[in-house]
Amino acid sequence: MHKLFAKQLAKATGPSGKVDIEKLAVMVGAAYDDADNDRRRTDRSMSLMIEEVDQLNRGLEQQVDERTAALNEREQQLRAQNLRLDAALSNMSQGLAMFDGDARLLICNQRYIEMYGLSPDVAKPGASLRDLLNHHSLNNVFTVDTDKRVSEVLESIDNGKRTGLVIEMLDGRTIAVVRQGMPGDGWVATHEDITDRRRAEQQIAHMARHDALTELPNRVQLREHLAIALERVQRGEHVAVHYLDLDHFKTVNDSLGHPVGDELLKAVAGRLRHCVGKTDTVARVGGDEFAIVQTGVDRPTDAAALAQEIREAIRAPFDINGHVVIVDASIGISHAPTDGIETNVLLKNADMALYRAKADGRGTYRFFEPQMDARMHERRKLELALRSALSNNEFELYYQPLIELNGDDVSGCEALIRWHHPELGMVPPLDFIPLAEEIGLIAQIGEWVIRRACEDAATWPDHVKVAVNLSPIQLTSQSLVSVVMNALARSRLQPQRLELEITEAVLMRNTEEVLATLHQLRSLGVRISMDDFGTGYSSLSYLRSFPFDKIKIDRSFIKGLPDNDSIAIVRAVTGLARSLSMTTTAEGVETHQQLDQVRALGCTEMQGYVFSPPMRLNELLLLFARDVSPHATGTA
Amino acid sequence: MRAQEIVWRETEGWSRTGAAADAGVVLYFGARQTLADGARYNELRTLYPNARIIGCSTGGQIQTDDVGDDMVAGIALSFDATKIKSAIETIAGPESSRTCGEAIGRALQADDLSGIFVLSDGLNVNGSHLVAGITGVIGDRVPLTGGLAGDGALFEQTLVGADCAPRSHTIAALGFYGSAIRIGHGSAGGWDVFGPRRRINRSYGNILHELDGEPALDLYERYLGDDSKGLPGSALLFPLQISHPERPDHELVRTVLSVDRAARSMTFAGDVPQGWNARLMRGNFDRLAAGAADAARLSQLRATDRGESDQVAILVSCIGRRLLMGQRVTDEVEAAGAELGARTSRLGFYSYGEISPHAVSGHCELHNQTMTVTAISESAG
Repeated sequence: MHKLFAKQLAKATGPSGKVDIEKLAVMVGAAYDDADNDRRRTDRSMSLMIEEVDQLNRGLEQQVDERTAALNEREQQLRAQNLRLDAALSNMSQGLAMFDGDARLLICNQRYIEMYGLSPDVAKPGASLRDLLNHHSLNNVFTVDTDKRVSEVLESIDNGKRTGLVIEMLDGRTIAVVRQGMPGDGWVATHEDITDRRRAEQQIAHMARHDALTELPNRVQLREHLAIALERVQRGEHVAVHYLDLDHFKTVNDSLGHPVGDELLKAVAGRLRHCVGKTDTVARVGGDEFAIVQTGVDRPTDAAALAQEIREAIRAPFDINGHVVIVDASIGISHAPTDGIETNVLLKNADMALYRAKADGRGTYRFFEPQMDARMHERRKLELALRSALSNNEFELYYQPLIELNGDDVSGCEALIRWHHPELGMVPPLDFIPLAEEIGLIAQIGEWVIRRACEDAATWPDHVKVAVNLSPIQLTSQSLVSVVMNALARSRLQPQRLELEITEAVLMRNTEEVLATLHQLRSLGVRISMDDFGTGYSSLSYLRSFPFDKIKIDRSFIKGLPDNDSIAIVRAVTGLARSLSMTTTAEGVETHQQLDQVRALGCTEMQGYVFSPPMRLNELLLLFARDVSPHATGTA
Repeated sequence: MRAQEIVWRETEGWSRTGAAADAGVVLYFGARQTLADGARYNELRTLYPNARIIGCSTGGQIQTDDVGDDMVAGIALSFDATKIKSAIETIAGPESSRTCGEAIGRALQADDLSGIFVLSDGLNVNGSHLVAGITGVIGDRVPLTGGLAGDGALFEQTLVGADCAPRSHTIAALGFYGSAIRIGHGSAGGWDVFGPRRRINRSYGNILHELDGEPALDLYERYLGDDSKGLPGSALLFPLQISHPERPDHELVRTVLSVDRAARSMTFAGDVPQGWNARLMRGNFDRLAAGAADAARLSQLRATDRGESDQVAILVSCIGRRLLMGQRVTDEVEAAGAELGARTSRLGFYSYGEISPHAVSGHCELHNQTMTVTAISESAG
């Protein structure tokens, strides 16, 4: 019997043992209802729950689908991003390697693998820095103390600093490595092949210390070597400095062209190197200037011997591109410690000695002497004074009359420059004209002379010409023609009254250029004279190269009169001039005897103290006012 | 301690079994209609002039193995070495629950306080706050057991009295003092969770508004079907298990007190904190009975040699269990009785909430849908 029914039966049974059927039925009925309700509730809740769980399931499935889709999309983006990153890494000119905090390779690009000749087996993710470095050593890529390098790298990364190092590869390449720690852990290293850059830097460094043409040390290195040599002087050794200048190098350049000039310099450099000892230095310090630091100089004659040896070496003919070139050298020598123990002083003194050698006629050598310094000082002073002479109005033109021998009239005057310096007094032209040429003032002074001469001549009687001397440098100047045109225009002087005098030397170089200028001047109407004829090569070809208006016979021949040789020469010149339709002027006529002779020999004009020394303008104007003739004055 | 079982039936009046001369405590439980006029209290007061007399209305009385609505189940206890004190508070509404709890605690607090048994109004109270109020004063060391009074399946009015006729809006408690008293306790449910885990989206104290974004009442009505006409009582068929998301093993069961059809909300006998998880539960007769047996067994875990002392077990079980089990509700009473043994007097009631330390945490809490057993005796020593 069911436990519940037993209870119900007990409850429905009265004290007498009689069962109250109706009561029992109610209880049993209620129990059935309870069971029905429970079953109904259970069914209902189960189906609702299943429905809910189903719905949840669907929701979860949808969520999973959505998340999967999102993940797929993200994965695609990452893949694309990775491809872009790969492309960027592959196309880098630098090698790149990324390591984690345990010094294990995370990623590297192809360039890194190529750079160190790694195999992909070695340079794979997870490889340790130690393995990679060992591999480098094994493959003879570069040698490295692996343990030391690894600890250095880790230490530098710990410090969080950006660090770099340069690796010299055994095959000659140079690799620059830069390491930078990454946020969190590890580091990224870039490797750049800087071989070319390094070579270019070395090249630049070389150029800074060498002459590009001859590959000799340049002035910078010369000074360094000299400074080192001078340290030995402190220990009792002797050193000589030779300054060397090729004589007439410019002529080689002008006549044979710069390429030949350059080859000559290279050849000279080669011979110089042969001449000197291993510890000596040969440097190129300027266009055709060289310097030699001679060490181990025991006696003064050692330096002289080297200088002589050098000269002999230089004087041997050069064969440059089929041209036989012969040059000589001027050499200045200074000696340490005698002439100084400082670089600057020794170089300066050698330069001064060179100047002396050149001044003494070139093709020689000179030792520095203390008075050179003084003379150089004087020269400097003069140079400074000369530079301000024009603006200070210190120049003056003197005029020496030229007498036409036919009618004894003054036919012209030669303008002669004088410099009145307030302290130095009258400075002779021979003292300052070469200096003016040397320091480039001659064009300005020459221009002043032409202008002034034209202006002065314009105040003279119309038939009196003015003669002006031209320096060879003026003739090579582009501006000469315009200077003459301006002077004529300003003074309103007839061009025919201006005579420009040139010497033979002018025609010895740049002939074509000079001839073109002369023709232009001639086309203006200006007259051109050949001055000092007979002192140079006196080549007839010069006379034929240009139709000069006049030949001025050099005073040395006039002075020689009346000996036979001089008579023959003067006669020949006047004859030649006549045949070429040129007039002749006898220069330096000092006596009446000479005057008579030049007249007899057929000279057209004469100039000299027999009539008048050079005089100041106002004196000349007085002369014109008196309208005198040489016969009337007769001064000597 | 000696116990005298006392039962009142309409036909027979009070009948007594056992001896408890000069009883110090009388406990009694009856239907609201039976107790409302105060006659039963007055009769007991005459029978036990010196006793603390404490009782309440119920959702059914338990008397030994029997469950019924008509009788009044009671017991009179005489203690040898235990002092008793009673306290009573009037509660205006649920918002006063904590302060009333604190007042009870303060009234009974003493150094030798060994246990409190509390009976509270079942409708105008937040049981969780009431318990928190009492334990806030007496601490967790002293066992606090008891229950909320019931009103059958009507949920209209509950009555509680201590040394007075039972009345509404009342909380009454007994304090046990001294080292002789032994109070064992056990609490267990036996309910099965089912269906998905839900999230309490919106709640305020013990008022639940939304589960998973759906009004809580909608969910209950859907599950109850035709039974939803019986709300709020029928909601007891599906108790709610709640747990903190970070302490999922610490589970509490909540039972419905009332519903607000307009607001679509439900009021539970204890807090339903927002953000906690919730799952519906359903009962299986056998497992509910097994749960009751568990509770009885737990109450005997620390039982010591009680010598000549009688033992009384006060069974407070949830009205929801009775509504679900119908006539089979006696199964759980018998199952508990089998664990407690024939020498233990058993009585109790079906309540609107059970109070007992939590089986896992030991922390005193309000329970719902459980069988709670409080075993009282005195030690032999």
